[in-house]
Amino acid sequence: MEILWFGALALLVAGYFALEGFDLGVGLLLPVTADRDRAIGAVGPFVLANEVWLIAAAGVLFGAFPACEYALSANYTAVVLLLVSWVVRDAGLWFRRRLFTRAFWEWLITLGSLGVCLAWGLLLAGLAGFSFPFGLLYGLLIAALFVMHGRRFLDWRLTGVGTPLVTGALAAVPALVPLAGMAGAVIGNAAPSATLTVLTFMVLPFVPVMAGAQIWVWKAFGKGPVPAYF
Amino acid sequence: MDVLDLARLQFAVTGSLHFLFVVLTLGLAPLVAIMHTRYARTGTTLDERMTRFWGQIYVTNYALGIVTGIVMEFQFGLSWSGLTHYAGDVFGAPLALETLIAFFLESTFLGLWIFGWHRLPKWLHVATIWLVTITAYASAFWIMVANSFLQHPAGAVRDGDVLRLDDFGALLTNPSLSMALPHVLSAGLTVGGFVVMGASAYHLFRKTSDQELFSRSLRMGIWTAFVGTMMVVGFGFAQFGPVTSVQPDKFTDRPLAALGLGFMILLGHLLQLIALLLVVVVKWAPRWRFLHPLIVLVTPLPFVAAILGWIAREEGRQPWMIWERLKVADALTPGLTQAQITLSFAGFVGVLTLLAVADYVLISRIVRRGPDEIALGEKPAPAPALTF
Ligand code: HEM
Repeated sequence: MEILWFGALALLVAGYFALEGFDLGVGLLLPVTADRDRAIGAVGPFVLANEVWLIAAAGVLFGAFPACEYALSANYTAVVLLLVSWVVRDAGLWFRRRLFTRAFWEWLITLGSLGVCLAWGLLLAGLAGFSFPFGLLYGLLIAALFVMHGRRFLDWRLTGVGTPLVTGALAAVPALVPLAGMAGAVIGNAAPSATLTVLTFMVLPFVPVMAGAQIWVWKAFGKGPVPAYF
Repeated sequence: MDVLDLARLQFAVTGSLHFLFVVLTLGLAPLVAIMHTRYARTGTTLDERMTRFWGQIYVTNYALGIVTGIVMEFQFGLSWSGLTHYAGDVFGAPLALETLIAFFLESTFLGLWIFGWHRLPKWLHVATIWLVTITAYASAFWIMVANSFLQHPAGAVRDGDVLRLDDFGALLTNPSLSMALPHVLSAGLTVGGFVVMGASAYHLFRKTSDQELFSRSLRMGIWTAFVGTMMVVGFGFAQFGPVTSVQPDKFTDRPLAALGLGFMILLGHLLQLIALLLVVVVKWAPRWRFLHPLIVLVTPLPFVAAILGWIAREEGRQPWMIWERLKVADALTPGLTQAQITLSFAGFVGVLTLLAVADYVLISRIVRRGPDEIALGEKPAPAPALTF
């Protein structure tokens, strides 16, 4: 059962990188994007459904692998950077059309997206015991992959050309490599089976609903005119 | 302030900010769902405008609920790893269930609702706002399960120096939960009712063009506030039994908790009286102009009561993180430095406070401008030529 829950954790983290990766990539691309309304409009309907993968991953960490939570406090600065950047990026999306000037919030979206990428570099490198400069480099690598992915996503969504599948898989690699390396340690630190049994029984019936809701988002917003809420 | 004080203050401020937005979400979600259902049945412009206007306020409020919630979730891992170390095997379960089977769906369905206008089939679109409402209530349920465990660690046994899950059912039938959950949900309805009343009264008083829409909204707000206050007071008094059965001295030697409790009850009776008087004159209230400024004036009170309620509940738990098991001081992350907590305090409290202010500015602007300028559910511009 520990392995099953580790699989769930890995799936959620990888899914977050593959999905939120293009949102963040488009955020990074904004300064060089001519039609920012359309670019943000393209990712808009996906953001809420994408970012929630990481919240779910954190839930699995707390519920199934509570002893691994020290990973967060051990990388305190990186996690604070991740959260503040994430919040700033989201605020940029919600407020862009509504408060002050659009340019102000667009810069915050880009800065927030960059902060999230760097924070991931620092966090993942920190977990693997690498130094701060290496973490920054790793963050830049993640940012580069996300930019590529965001670019592919916009091509696919706005002109119907190509597919973001390949870049999505690539975007998940920087998370999967360290996760695979830590698999043994994480699984060895799982919650006792009483806890895991309860979690499994409670969550299993909802898995089809969760998958269905996500697929519905892609079916509903993968084509057609670009909505203009964000 | 030392590290412990800062970590506590950080949690208290971000938690209070979070709840200010959450409590309105809980109250508005069912109201918007009802309005949308009515619109789907009648198809009138009035119902459409009403759904979109209140929906826009709901969604704008929701934005801050999400970002403050993100920070809340991760704070356990950052500053309170002693809690996870001691009771993570039990306490982690409701938090995990909240994220997986409630919030994951809530956020996904909310995206479908916001962006689904003119795109999803009519009744499926209505279904998404009901699903958002149900999952929001499910979220509240699991969070209250987790919080109640801190008040009274039911369902867990000591195993060496940690707690282990023993009886999951006992977690769900915790005496600290049974009356607190309906109390919180009716606090949400109270807040939702007073906000809808307040904004409607503003437009009625100003004699703006949407008199019918706001007359109807005012009546809906009055009825909601009436039901909400009756229930919040009822379940409030019903809480004393179970709470004092597991935390007998909760309010006796904790002055701040007792103060919060006292003022909440005072406000509760005041709000109940207001709602009761209004429900008697609900038929005429939209036309009685002298009432409207008064209604606007009392809008913040239920928010104040809700925060006082949390002060009562959480200050009443001190100095325990988990009642009579784990002290707050012992739950602090070992080795947390002054520099670290100062950094996160500045980042979280600073950024979230600024954003909360910005969001309230925006909400009051949406209210002021009225249903004519609502982005939510706008007809999309005709598709431009495919250029990128
Ligand atoms: C006469 C009216 C009221 C009574 C007797 C009452 C009673 C209580 C009690 C005893 C608690 C503490 C429970 C604990 O420590 O575990 C509490 C908490 C709380 N109250 Fe009230 N209350 C009243 C009105 C209100 C109102 C009007 C609101 C908000 C609109 C509100 C919101 C809350 C909240 C959010 C909490 C914290 C969560 C909980 O324990 O349910 N209360 N209330």
